[in-house]
Amino acid sequence: MLRTKWWKVLSFVLLLYTCTYGFLVKIPKLDDRLKESIRNFFFHVPMWFGMMILLFVSLVYAIKYLRTGNLVHDIYAEAYASMGLVFGTLGIITGALWANYQWGSPWVGDPKQNGAAIALLIYFAYFVLRGSLLDVEKRARLSAVYNIFSFFMLFPTLWILPRLTESLHPGGQGSEGNPGLNGKDMSSNMRMVFYPAVIGWTLLGVWISTLRIRIQLVEFKREGIL
Amino acid sequence: MLQLLQTQAIKQEGFMVQNGKIFLVMTIVCIILIGIFLYIARIDKRLTQLEKNN
Repeated sequence: MLRTKWWKVLSFVLLLYTCTYGFLVKIPKLDDRLKESIRNFFFHVPMWFGMMILLFVSLVYAIKYLRTGNLVHDIYAEAYASMGLVFGTLGIITGALWANYQWGSPWVGDPKQNGAAIALLIYFAYFVLRGSLLDVEKRARLSAVYNIFSFFMLFPTLWILPRLTESLHPGGQGSEGNPGLNGKDMSSNMRMVFYPAVIGWTLLGVWISTLRIRIQLVEFKREGIL
Repeated sequence: MLQLLQTQAIKQEGFMVQNGKIFLVMTIVCIILIGIFLYIARIDKRLTQLEKNN
């Protein structure tokens, strides 16, 4: 799985498609407030989808470590959490840039922006925790428990609270439906680029995570830990 | 009058300048994408060699 090629080539093909057709696909003209920036749907939004998927995979490996004590699972959990954070950070930066031109300022105190910042800070603390522990087994165990907590904190911060109050993001009170998966937010043309984009960006995240895992495995074998 | 038409014609030439230069943006993004993929493909290959040597 780590060394197979097909899904890596698929990632490249899907992203090449996203980065070409994403600029050329016909976009709907509703009230025209977004204009061409609606194309950010193919870049900013998949960062968050990718982050959720990668952090979920990290959670799975954290739980696997707690059940088996096999350090390889901890290596996997750390790598996927790291890549998930990269995606989340890119998402929040691109979101702030988009907000600057769409909402007037990079940080408007929108509930989803605040929620995203809190969620990312909780995950940054995961790495601070790891850095503070020297013993490999203890580090793996404590960070696995914290990983579980951090993952479940994603739900109130990103999905629940922003929908309970008024929000500039789609999905808040006063707007309809499910952000990102709502049929009304995107035309069917756009959805043809959006779903491949999500898969492509996620697979890229998985690829980079596997590279990190493989480097760690080689290092651990050399140091005799594994 | 003729000079005005001529300058307008020169301004709109070229593939990249069409559509509000979107093709230019698209090409730049594709170059960045290909560059990133070539880089991580290289890392992947070197890692595979490293794993084989061990």
